[in-house]
Amino acid sequence: MIIKEIKIKNFRSYYGENHLSLSKGLTLIIGDNGDGKTTLFEALEWLFDTTGVNTQTSHISEKRKSELEIGECDEVSVSITFEHDGEKEIEKSFTFEKSFDETVYTRDFMFKGYFIEGAGRNVISGDRLLNMCFEPVIRKYCLFKGENELNVFDNDTALKTLVDTFSGIRQFDELVEMTSNFEQKSANAANRELQNDKKVSNQAKELNTQLNDALNDIKNIKQELEQKRISISEFSLKLELLEKNQETSERYQAIKERIKGLTDKRAKLAGQATCEYSTNLLDKQWILRSFPSIIQEFSKKVSALSKEKRRLDKQETERRAKEAGERETISKIQKLANDAVPLPWNLPDESTMKEMIDDEICKVCGRPAPKGSEAYEFMCNKLNEYLAHITAEANKKSGAAEEDKPLFQNTFINELHSRQIKLSGETEQEISNIATQISDELDFVSKRKSELAEVDKQLQELKTEQNDLLMQSGLSAELLDKSISDLRGFFDAKSRAESRVSVLETTLKFKENAKNEIQEQLSKLEPTSSMTQVYQRVHAAFEKITKAFSNAKEQNINNFLQMLEAEANKYLQKLNKNDFYGIIRIRKTINNSARIELYSDNGSRIENPNGALKTTMYMSVLFAISQITTLKREQDYPLIFDAPTSSFGGFKEDTFYNVIDTIDKQCIIVTKDLLNIDKATGQKTLDYDTINKLSCSVYRIEKVEPFNDKDLSTIQTVVKQIR
Amino acid sequence: MAAEKLYDLWATRNPQWEKRYEDSIIKNFCDYGRGATSLREDRGKIFGGGYEIFIIAFFIGLYFNERRPLIDDTQKRKILGQPIQYWGNLDSVKGRKAYPKLREYIFIALIARTDIDFIALEKGEITTRKAVDMLMQTMEEYANWGFHFMEDKLTDDPNYFFRETAFLEIFLAFDASPVESIEDDEPESLD
Repeated sequence: MIIKEIKIKNFRSYYGENHLSLSKGLTLIIGDNGDGKTTLFEALEWLFDTTGVNTQTSHISEKRKSELEIGECDEVSVSITFEHDGEKEIEKSFTFEKSFDETVYTRDFMFKGYFIEGAGRNVISGDRLLNMCFEPVIRKYCLFKGENELNVFDNDTALKTLVDTFSGIRQFDELVEMTSNFEQKSANAANRELQNDKKVSNQAKELNTQLNDALNDIKNIKQELEQKRISISEFSLKLELLEKNQETSERYQAIKERIKGLTDKRAKLAGQATCEYSTNLLDKQWILRSFPSIIQEFSKKVSALSKEKRRLDKQETERRAKEAGERETISKIQKLANDAVPLPWNLPDESTMKEMIDDEICKVCGRPAPKGSEAYEFMCNKLNEYLAHITAEANKKSGAAEEDKPLFQNTFINELHSRQIKLSGETEQEISNIATQISDELDFVSKRKSELAEVDKQLQELKTEQNDLLMQSGLSAELLDKSISDLRGFFDAKSRAESRVSVLETTLKFKENAKNEIQEQLSKLEPTSSMTQVYQRVHAAFEKITKAFSNAKEQNINNFLQMLEAEANKYLQKLNKNDFYGIIRIRKTINNSARIELYSDNGSRIENPNGALKTTMYMSVLFAISQITTLKREQDYPLIFDAPTSSFGGFKEDTFYNVIDTIDKQCIIVTKDLLNIDKATGQKTLDYDTINKLSCSVYRIEKVEPFNDKDLSTIQTVVKQIR
Repeated sequence: MAAEKLYDLWATRNPQWEKRYEDSIIKNFCDYGRGATSLREDRGKIFGGGYEIFIIAFFIGLYFNERRPLIDDTQKRKILGQPIQYWGNLDSVKGRKAYPKLREYIFIALIARTDIDFIALEKGEITTRKAVDMLMQTMEEYANWGFHFMEDKLTDDPNYFFRETAFLEIFLAFDASPVESIEDDEPESLD
């Protein structure tokens, strides 16, 4: 199976249709973090998944989804065209549609395969075609995500799967099973004959019961022994690792402590580095930052109004006082000479007064009052007073209310004035402090933000250091997390298992001896029937055959591992040109799994190969497996890696790609290597110096700019063929 | 009977705004008119009740000292969910703080900037209703200008206000230099 083309449509960040044509050898797909490298890898994983219908809405391009009108639909699809006994294609797709309530639902899942013959295409189900051309067990050794997945022997069943698939040992399994079945049957038959033999029947029955008991005991002891041995081997391995890596362990713990400290600090800073910029305008009244000038306008206006109101009030009071004063003066003038109380104003009446003035006589006392005399003036004044009173009475009747009514009915200006008074002092001070408050808070947040960025940087560095340490030491984080007290636990468990093993071994020896004795006694029985003797001989023969097949199977596994080892070492040498590389040994473990180890020429094991050496070691084994697969299946298969070289340095990268470029094998590597990033500007450029030395296809994938870093629907990956 | 206060009369009112800002601004930035069952993608609104963006719009108009009369057709106007007296009573909203005093500052600004003949009002020559109408008109016209301002920004860049400091920056651009304390031309006599 050689992949010729990959098409991806609307799969996550791969918006619209995207094509990649692959070469028969190496294809490099270069992109930075977040540019869609892993998405490309996962698109293929999705295509190769034969476990059933999978139409996760998270696979849909957010950008495409956000553009859809209500009722509109589009599809997500991933397909490959490949060469495998002729040209073929596999396509997986589903349709998505935006409904009236704006939710997006999926339908029409399709997984189809095609045989392409000339212009025609014959359809077949996708999983059938995939299992035909790229069976699950082969897929398992073809797709690798990240550097840590490269060790194919990381799980216990890996060796068995591999051996079963590629070594032809399966046939041995059947033979071993068949012969041991025959052996069992012949033993039973021989026994039956013995027990039926008149002469030895009773003895044989007795011995058989003993033998069965002994065999049962032996079986149980062996089971327990095997378990204990596996435990011991695991504990030893861990202890050995921990002891040899005490320094690593201490460094790891120190890094862990620092990461913890920084993480706590980060959480605290993250809490402080936020600010509700918009709602603070209201909640903290930041919106009043420029308000003092408006308060001033208000105060000026209200002061002026208040002053004006008081002025008008005063004027009115004065006017009223004046009027009242005039009336008082008139009364004063009429005061009598001897301070006697004058007659009421209405006596005498108006006509009487006028008559007396005309006649120039006071008809009250009968004395003359010629014009110009004091008496005449008195009478004139008296008449005027009378008339004034009448007018006043009339006025009183018509407009008495107006005279009493206050000038101002409302007190709104007073309301505003008291508001003005309330504003002054502390309140006004508070408002004018808002500007300072805002700038203080913004300053505080920005300082926390830059501290946060610094902590993030340190954390990133520490995590890289931690990962490098793990890669270099070959130890798992889980193991290094164990403290010294756990170490003691390992010791105790191991020594308990060891003492149990020694007890079991002694018992086993004893039981084996007993069993042998019984068997010998059984064989020494001399049956009367010659047929019984034949049965016994047949059984003896089958016993030998069974043993032979068992041994042959073991030998075969060893041969397979040797072949794998030899192939792997060839690749290791190529991948580490001009560098130290050592020798790969693939060792079978007690629980029938395998371990890949590196040895120096002088036979000593290299405990902690550096990250790059370790990666090339695992990759060499992968290439070897692939080589064997090709031999067995008479087909080539691609190897697809997502970021396999993160622990490589620049120089090693160059060599690595140069070598991979010349290996005759389809290899698709998605990576961020060969991308130079200018630390100052963040500008990313391809490393053309290295790329130009390669002969492979090269693609660049990257996010379309500009994008909103908080909005997934603005993210789109574009694929550009560089070469 | 205690005299009615101008502030209280004003606070029972509910200002009008132009309907055309309903989708582009009010619903865009506030929870205004949103049913709890709405299935729209939750983008996280910047503000709570619709009146919050109205306050923002009002202060923008106020500080720019720009007014814009509302459209004549009253069919094309709307009012908010709550009268002024309830604005800012946010204590039950998680993460928010009540700001009842802001109402009083809005009132102060309206008094300062509305041309009411207070002496005539005080004498009863014009009605209090008329005076409150005038205050509301000032308020609505400032806010209307503020909405217009925001719409302008959105036309240039639909994501303009989704930068977290966008609203704050508008207010940081206004002058906030300290004002001279008020000095009367002549001291008032104490009589």
